[in-house]
Amino acid sequence: MLVGFSLFAGLLAAGAGPAHAADEYLIIAKVFNRTTDENGKDIRVPVAEVEIIVSLVGGDEVARGVTDASGSFTATVVEKGAYLVEINTEALPAGIVVDAASGVSKEVEVGSGVVVGGVASKTVNLFVGESTRETKSKWSLLPQALANGIILAAIIAICSVGLSLIYGTTGLSNFGHGELVTIGAVFTWLFNQRLGNWGLIPSAIAGIACCSLASGGLERGVWRPLRRRGTSLTSMMVVSIGLALSARYVVQFFLGGGDVFFAIGTQQPVDLGLVKLTPRSLAIIGVTFAVLIIVALFLLKARFGKAIRAVSDNPDLASATGINTDRVILIVWLLGGALAGLGGVFYGLEFGVSWDMGNLLLLLMFAAITLGGLGNAFGALLGSLIIGVFVELWAWAATPDLKTVGALIALIVLLLVRPQGLLGRKERLG
Amino acid sequence: MNWSLIFFNSIYTAISAASAGYCLIAVGLNVHAGYTGLLNFGQAGFAAIGAYALAVPIVEFGWPWWLALIVVLVCSVLFAVLLGLPTLRLRADYLAIVTIAAAEIIRIVLRSVRFTWLTGGSDGVNGFTSTFEGWNRDYFFGDRIFKFGAQSIDGYRLFMMLVGWLLVAIVSFLLWRLMRSPWGRVLRSIREDEDAARSLGKNVFAFKMQSLVLGGVIGSIGGVVFALQQQSAQSDQFRTNLTFFAYTIVVLGGLARILGPIAGTLIFYFVMQLTDNLLDQATRNETLPTWLVDSGNYAQVKFIVAGIGLSLLVIFRPQGIFGDRKEQAFDVR
Repeated sequence: MLVGFSLFAGLLAAGAGPAHAADEYLIIAKVFNRTTDENGKDIRVPVAEVEIIVSLVGGDEVARGVTDASGSFTATVVEKGAYLVEINTEALPAGIVVDAASGVSKEVEVGSGVVVGGVASKTVNLFVGESTRETKSKWSLLPQALANGIILAAIIAICSVGLSLIYGTTGLSNFGHGELVTIGAVFTWLFNQRLGNWGLIPSAIAGIACCSLASGGLERGVWRPLRRRGTSLTSMMVVSIGLALSARYVVQFFLGGGDVFFAIGTQQPVDLGLVKLTPRSLAIIGVTFAVLIIVALFLLKARFGKAIRAVSDNPDLASATGINTDRVILIVWLLGGALAGLGGVFYGLEFGVSWDMGNLLLLLMFAAITLGGLGNAFGALLGSLIIGVFVELWAWAATPDLKTVGALIALIVLLLVRPQGLLGRKERLG
Repeated sequence: MNWSLIFFNSIYTAISAASAGYCLIAVGLNVHAGYTGLLNFGQAGFAAIGAYALAVPIVEFGWPWWLALIVVLVCSVLFAVLLGLPTLRLRADYLAIVTIAAAEIIRIVLRSVRFTWLTGGSDGVNGFTSTFEGWNRDYFFGDRIFKFGAQSIDGYRLFMMLVGWLLVAIVSFLLWRLMRSPWGRVLRSIREDEDAARSLGKNVFAFKMQSLVLGGVIGSIGGVVFALQQQSAQSDQFRTNLTFFAYTIVVLGGLARILGPIAGTLIFYFVMQLTDNLLDQATRNETLPTWLVDSGNYAQVKFIVAGIGLSLLVIFRPQGIFGDRKEQAFDVR
C-alpha cells in the first residue's frame, strides 16, 4: 500500500580526465518498497515507473524522469549545491500509494567534499511502508514493447538516412552526426522555450533549418576544404570525432547536464487496444512515415535524387557525366542535417532534450546503417526498423539498462556473417 | 588567483598515477594505431577490463593480488581475440564502429543492475587496494603527506605514482626493443602496405591479432594502475571519451614513437588541468562574466579544448611532436 523511498546520491566525478575537478555529478534516486520478512530482515523491492523530479533547492527543476526496472533514476547535474529530489505524486503508476508520513522528497548536497584524485559518494536513505502493487505478466507487456520499438525505429530511421547518404556520397563515417541530432533538438527547444516562446511546430521548423544550415556550413567550412587538400577519409573520420566531442560539451556548457523538455503539456495516452500511445508518439510515427516516403520518392524519381544516387554509386563517373559533385554533396549535407534535426525533435518529444542525446543515438544509427548496408539509404531504413524493435524487445526480455547491448551484439554478429549488410553490395571490406 | 596552486596542481595532475595509467592506455593504442595502423576505438574497453578484472576477484572472491593480475591478463587477451576475430579483416571505418560498440558493451554490462552482485552496478567496486596500501605503509612512504609546492600528496598516491611511471618506463623500453625487431618491422610494413606484406608471405591477420593482443594487454595494465590510484573501479570512467583522449595523446606526441604517448600525456593532462584550474579560480573570483561561465559549467571547457585540439592536430600536424609525417598512420588507407 505504501511506497518506500530511498535516495542514493552518488557523487562521482564522472568524465575521463583525472578526476580532480568534478565535471558532473550523478544523483541516483532509488525507489523501493520496503517490507520485512518473517525473520525481521529487510526486503527491498524496486518500483519502476515512478516519476522523479530533481530541482535546485528553492530553484529551477533540473531533471525529471521515471525510474527503471531497478527502481532507480539517474540525474546528471553539473552545479554544486543542494538539490531537492522528489517523487511526482501526481503521476504515480496505478497501485502505488505514497506514505505521507515519511515524505516524498529528500534534499541532497552535491559537490561537497570531493576528494582530489578520488571519488566521493554520499548515501541518503528514506524508507517506509509496504505495497500491494499488482505486477503485470511479462507477455502482456510485449505489444507495448513492440510499439515502443517502432517509435524508436522511426527516430533512428529519420536520423540515419542522412548519415547513410553522407557516407554514400563522400565515404565519410561522420561521427558528428549524433551532435547534429542534438543541435536540432536544442535549437527547437530554444525557440520553443527561451527565445520566442513559439509553438512547437514553428520552433521545430526553425530548429531544423538551423541544424541544416550548421550541417551545410560544416561541409563548406571543413569537409570540402579537407577533401581539396586530399586528406584521407580515416583522418577526416578522426576530425569528425574531435568536432563531435567539442560540440557535445559546447551544448552541455550552455544547456547544463539535465534533461529539458518542449512545452507541450502532459498528454493522455490513447488506448489502442493492445497498446497505449500518446498523441505525440502517434504523430512521430505518422510524420516519419510521410517524410521517409517523400525522401524515397525524391531519391528515386527526382532529377537531383538520381544525381545523389549516381554520386553514391561512383563519384568519378558521376563527375564525368557532368554532375556537379560538390553541389550534390552540399545538398546531401543540408538534407542530412535537416533530417537529423527532425530526428532530434522527435527524440526530444519522446525522451527529453539533453546534451548527450545524439551520442546515445550515434551507435544505434551506425548499427542501423551497417546492418542495412553502408551507404544504401533504403538499407538504412530497414536497418533502423530492425535495430529499433530489437532494442526495445531486448529491454523487454532482459534488463532495460542493457537495452543497447543487444543491438550492438547483433551488429558485431552480422559483420561476421554478412559484412556488406542486408542490402549492401558484396565488395572487399578488408 | 592562487597561481602557485594552479601551477603545481596542474603539474601534479600531469605526473600523477592516474596520468601514468592513461599513458599506458595510450601506449597500448600506439601499438594498434601507430605501429600497425589498426584504428581501434575500443581501448577504453581494455582499460575497463583491467580495472574490473583486478577489483572483482579480490573483492568478491577474496583472491590474492597476483591471481587477480593473472585474471587481468587472461581477460584482456580473451577480449582482444574476441574483438579481433570478426573485425581485423574489415576496413578502417567498420573496425572503428565495431570496436566502439564492443567497448560500450563492456561498459554497459559492467554497470548494469543485472550484474550489481558482481560489479556493483553504477557505483563500481571499492576496497581492493589494501594489499597495495600495505606495501606503501610497510616499505615506502606510509601515511605521511608530502608537499609539492602548493600541492599536497599523500603517501599512497606518491607510491602509486612511482609504480605507475615505473611501469610506463618498463613497457616503453620493452616496446622500443620489440619495435626494432623483425616482428616490429612486419607490423610497420602492414601499416604501410598490407598487400605487400601479404605478398611477402607474412600472415597479416596473425600479426594484426598479435598487435591487438599486445596493445590491449598494455591498455588493461593502464586500467589497473588507474583503478589502483582511484581506489575504485567505476564503469563510467571508461566511456568512449577515454579512447578519444588517448587518440589525442598519441597524435599529440607523435604516432609510432616510443616517447610520443609519454610526452603527449604530460602535455595533454597539464593543459586540461590548467584550463580547469584557471576557470575554476576565475569563476570563484567572478573575473569572468557569470552569465557565460560559472561554477556549474566551467568544467566542460577542457573537453571542448580537447576535442578541437584533436581535430586541429589531425588536420594541421598529424605527425605531432616527435612523429614523421611520412610515417603517420591515418593516411594509409
